[in-house]
Amino acid sequence: MPVAVFEKSLYDLIRGLRNHKGNEKEYIQNCLKECRSEIRSQDMDVKATALLKLVYLEMVGHDMSWASFHVLEVMSSQKYHQKRVGYLAAVQSFRPDTDVLMMATNLLKKDVAASLPTIIALPISALPHIVTPSLAMSLLGDLLPRLSHSHAAIRKKTVVTLYRLALVYPEALRASWPKIKERLMDPDEDPSVTAAIVNVVCELGWRRPRDFLPLAPRLFELLVDGGNNWMAIKLIKLFAVLTPLEPRLVRKLLPPLTNLIRTTPAMSLLYECINGIIQGGILGEGEDFSAREEVASLCVNKLRGMVAGNSDPNLKYVALLAFNRIVVTHPFLVAQQEDVILECIDSEDITIRIKALDLVQGMVSSDNLVSIVGRLMRQLKASSAALNQQNNGSDSLDEPNSDDEASGGAARRRRTLDRAPPLPENYTVDVIGRILRMCSQNNYANILDFDWYIDVLSQLIRIAPPPRVKDSDADSTGSRYPADISENIGNELRNVAVKVKAVRAGAVRAAELVISRMASDISPSRPVVLGALKPVAWMVGEYASQLLSADDTLRYLLDIAPRIGDPEVLATALQAIVKLFAHVAGDDRVLWTRERKSSVSLLMARVIHVMEPFASHPYLEVQERAVEFMELLKLTAEAAAGQAPSTDEMQQDPPLLLTQAIPSLFNGWELNSVAVGTQQNVPLPDDLDLDEPIHADLGRLLAQADSLMLPAPGDDEFDAYYNQRPAATSISSGPAISRLKDAPEEVSSSYQHTEESYLDPDIIARRKAERMERYRDDPFYIPDSTASPSGGRSTPIHNILQRENGPDLDIDSIPIMQLDLEKLNPSGRTTPAGRQQPAAPKPKSQQRIVVAADETIAGSGLSTPRAYDSENNTSDSFLSKGKKPTASTTSSSTTTTNKKLKQQSLLQITATNLADLTLDESASPSNDPLAHERQQREEAEMAQALREVQRLRLEMQRANERIQVAQGVPVEGVVVSSKKKKKKKTEGTKTGVKKKASSKKSGGTGDGGEGGGESAATPVVEGVEEGVVKVKTTKKKKKAESSSAGAGAGESGEAAAPVKAKKKKVKRVVQLDDGAEGGGSAVESQG
Amino acid sequence: MINAFLVFNGQGQPRLTKFYTQLDTSIQQRLISEIFTLVSNRPAGSCNFLPLPPLLAASSTSNTSASADEQNDVPSLVTYRNYATLYFIIISTSTESPLALIDLIQVYVEALDRLFENVCELDLIFNFEALHATLGEMVVGGGGGEEAGE
Repeated sequence: MPVAVFEKSLYDLIRGLRNHKGNEKEYIQNCLKECRSEIRSQDMDVKATALLKLVYLEMVGHDMSWASFHVLEVMSSQKYHQKRVGYLAAVQSFRPDTDVLMMATNLLKKDVAASLPTIIALPISALPHIVTPSLAMSLLGDLLPRLSHSHAAIRKKTVVTLYRLALVYPEALRASWPKIKERLMDPDEDPSVTAAIVNVVCELGWRRPRDFLPLAPRLFELLVDGGNNWMAIKLIKLFAVLTPLEPRLVRKLLPPLTNLIRTTPAMSLLYECINGIIQGGILGEGEDFSAREEVASLCVNKLRGMVAGNSDPNLKYVALLAFNRIVVTHPFLVAQQEDVILECIDSEDITIRIKALDLVQGMVSSDNLVSIVGRLMRQLKASSAALNQQNNGSDSLDEPNSDDEASGGAARRRRTLDRAPPLPENYTVDVIGRILRMCSQNNYANILDFDWYIDVLSQLIRIAPPPRVKDSDADSTGSRYPADISENIGNELRNVAVKVKAVRAGAVRAAELVISRMASDISPSRPVVLGALKPVAWMVGEYASQLLSADDTLRYLLDIAPRIGDPEVLATALQAIVKLFAHVAGDDRVLWTRERKSSVSLLMARVIHVMEPFASHPYLEVQERAVEFMELLKLTAEAAAGQAPSTDEMQQDPPLLLTQAIPSLFNGWELNSVAVGTQQNVPLPDDLDLDEPIHADLGRLLAQADSLMLPAPGDDEFDAYYNQRPAATSISSGPAISRLKDAPEEVSSSYQHTEESYLDPDIIARRKAERMERYRDDPFYIPDSTASPSGGRSTPIHNILQRENGPDLDIDSIPIMQLDLEKLNPSGRTTPAGRQQPAAPKPKSQQRIVVAADETIAGSGLSTPRAYDSENNTSDSFLSKGKKPTASTTSSSTTTTNKKLKQQSLLQITATNLADLTLDESASPSNDPLAHERQQREEAEMAQALREVQRLRLEMQRANERIQVAQGVPVEGVVVSSKKKKKKKTEGTKTGVKKKASSKKSGGTGDGGEGGGESAATPVVEGVEEGVVKVKTTKKKKKAESSSAGAGAGESGEAAAPVKAKKKKVKRVVQLDDGAEGGGSAVESQG
Repeated sequence: MINAFLVFNGQGQPRLTKFYTQLDTSIQQRLISEIFTLVSNRPAGSCNFLPLPPLLAASSTSNTSASADEQNDVPSLVTYRNYATLYFIIISTSTESPLALIDLIQVYVEALDRLFENVCELDLIFNFEALHATLGEMVVGGGGGEEAGE
């Protein structure tokens, strides 16, 4: 290639790039700068070379959208090698918003109609990448003849391109289908073209199988003697869709398929045959049952062989893929393969693992849940251990690549750790999500042992990767993980606590542990980011009475609170703090002694101290809660200070504010989980008018706000509200006996040992201790003699009994009788849908547990068992526990899921348009005349309009000449006219510039406008004043005229063309405008 | 339907990128680097299919409840093959046959080998226009056709 000395070819660029290791960035910036100037060059060779370089740099990640106009220039080059570069650049760099595409239509038309096949191929292969509905419409007519081009390669490409056209513009398919079909039926057609058609038919086939049934004989023929594996695969895939519609096909297909299975050397074809047989329902029901059964077992066994053992990993993968499809129609066949599939969960290949997990998720039952989750937990644990090790180790190494930021294209060396590398974060998140889903399926139908589940959850909270708080790409598509997985785990824990009363104590204690770990683990300077904190904090607040040590938990929370970053978590934590405080300090049975007075005052001071900074928090919810609680506590503190402690002779009650008011804020009804969507069904009260101003003179009130004091809460209103209800006034309202239920006989099943492999030792230890304590209350259990019977810690039952009955009661002296646990179901309060655990006669003893169903409103029809996303359904309501939480939480979550559903996948090509299209020839004409006919009509109109413009312009020119000849050009006239010319020019260029941005042609017409202006100005030579006036009037008239012309043309466009075509029309109208403008002013100057 | 065809080397530097739908350059780059991260962490002896990179997984999992028809449109299969210093990647929908895609990569590489005679990474670096042309003969607009190259 002839290149000037100072210009680089692509070769030089790449060589330079390789020679500038280390400072590539700078080098590339220089090159880009050079390209920017070179691409403006008049020399086409230089331009094309610069473009090629840009395309190369685009591949490395440097945007070249700015060069799209130059791409067009190079595309229109006469030389093939330059044209090719242009088309390549168009394919690589044009985006949906590239506006120069409008101008490319004619160029593409011309190239499609070229005589050289090499040139024809360029636009045809480029079209799929850049096609838009309007482009498809205008090019359809030019592409159709190419279906019968003499070169097979052109025909082949045209077929595929037409398919892509049809995806955005379904009419294309209707117009081209007869021809394509003809090609397909032609036995002498080049095999490559036939293959391409089969390809297209296959893609279309699964969308509208019925349309392709008539082709079945020909397709069958091709399958039998096609001899092309690629095509055979496609055909089998297509037949798998067709057979359900035409059962007779099955009998015909079986011989050739079994023949293929027996003979083909290609594994891919073999696999597809098996897959097709299964998927096509050839296995399914039918008259010859035994024969089919035979085929079925043969195929499934083949697949099983692929999965099992140490076969080729690719086969393992595709077999799992096939199972994933079979499981939809033949779940029992897959269920038989459970053993080999479960093996795959532990494969070191993540891809295989994920596919196996997909399968397993559908196979979970109460029998295998524990072992499946156990496998997964072991993986996660190992991975997190490896990650920790790596984090500690990598500090000493030179490259700290442990953080999983998207590190651009930077090289990332393969780690040479001999241990299994840590799992990728998104996989970990995925697995945790699956565990939660498997366990919570059908309202926890599969869980027999909730204590185990709580342990798993607490372990998961530790394993879960920290949420991404990186500012790098918060808004982009990549970081759309399901919120924060840690929060989801916390939500699960909370759901268990809310729904399963029997294990609430255990769940609450797990929450307690999480908070205490958090307080002690994280260094004081670092912010707390754990998402699980929110639900966990809610739990310790809500169920404060079941905590082991409410004082400690309150202290931990107070420690953590200042470091919480997320305002929503913070708001929940504040709420929890006050709830805990109410529980710790608000007991009215304890005497108001001196010690109590001082300790309560200290505690209040501490709480107020923590809350104080949040009173000016930017997040309104936090601010409001902090301010309200602070004021309330300040009042209480005053009251407490004023209340003298009781002495021996004078008994004093603690201040009522402390014992009555504050606890009454929180002791309303028990919160139950609410089904997704039910919230929206709560009828809006008739008297609620949200548009009504709160107060007529709010501004004045706010101005006075400084002098106003908050009214002391907890007065009549609240008391009345809560006291009207006869319902429980305290959380621990249920009979204590109901808590006894959860003492099962010791289960000595095998998983007890395996648990240790994935649970942290302290969780196991806690569990053991818990069991031991539980048995202290079990009359049938002989206590461990080494444990001191009245030792420091005591179970909640001991606590409760002791508290309720006073210390002088000897629990052991109470006679104990056999209890009929069946009768103890407290299910009266839940809806009848409350799910009993399946009480099948299992060998293992199990907890008999009632899992509360979600509450629904009658007639809502949305009472699905809790869906995974429903984390907000029990979100704590501020201060008004009796009321339902506001509707916004649930409704917003549902709307977001809706939105998610609608949003399209990256790289996806929508073909939904095609769904409405029918290829049935008999049905088609009713729709409307073929669009490209309509378009031809439009084009004719357009041509006529353009001719009109030409004519006017010519007249204008003549008038101009006439005047000049008649009058000559006086000296002062020149000055004047030039002045006006300038004015005119600015106007002309203004419009010109406006259009230039959008279309190339209008650049030309902009010039035309300018010319018109000139011609309008030159005749005015008599005097300055007159001339100025004239110019002004012409301006005005022009404006009016052009706008009316635009409107008129726009209307006609609307009438003639459908909406799709409108855009293009309008663009053309713009050109007309300019023409009319010029013409209009010319007429003006004549008059 | 093939959605993208990528070639990059062991350092994640792209050698050929072909997206059959229009994507922003920055998103293309992110996708490439995500796939590279996945591909470079494969243990030995694992299969030629990758789990979905986060960019694609995020959009496809949200579609799980969509109809089966729509599922078929979503790119859900990432096939790769490693030749010496190079990785060849095909992103496709589930309607393509996975094993056939592996073959397609093989055919492409064989075609390049015939074109350059003992093809190596350097050939690909300096002849990337030829890469595009060869690919264009085999895959048109995302529809594959298995044939020998030029």
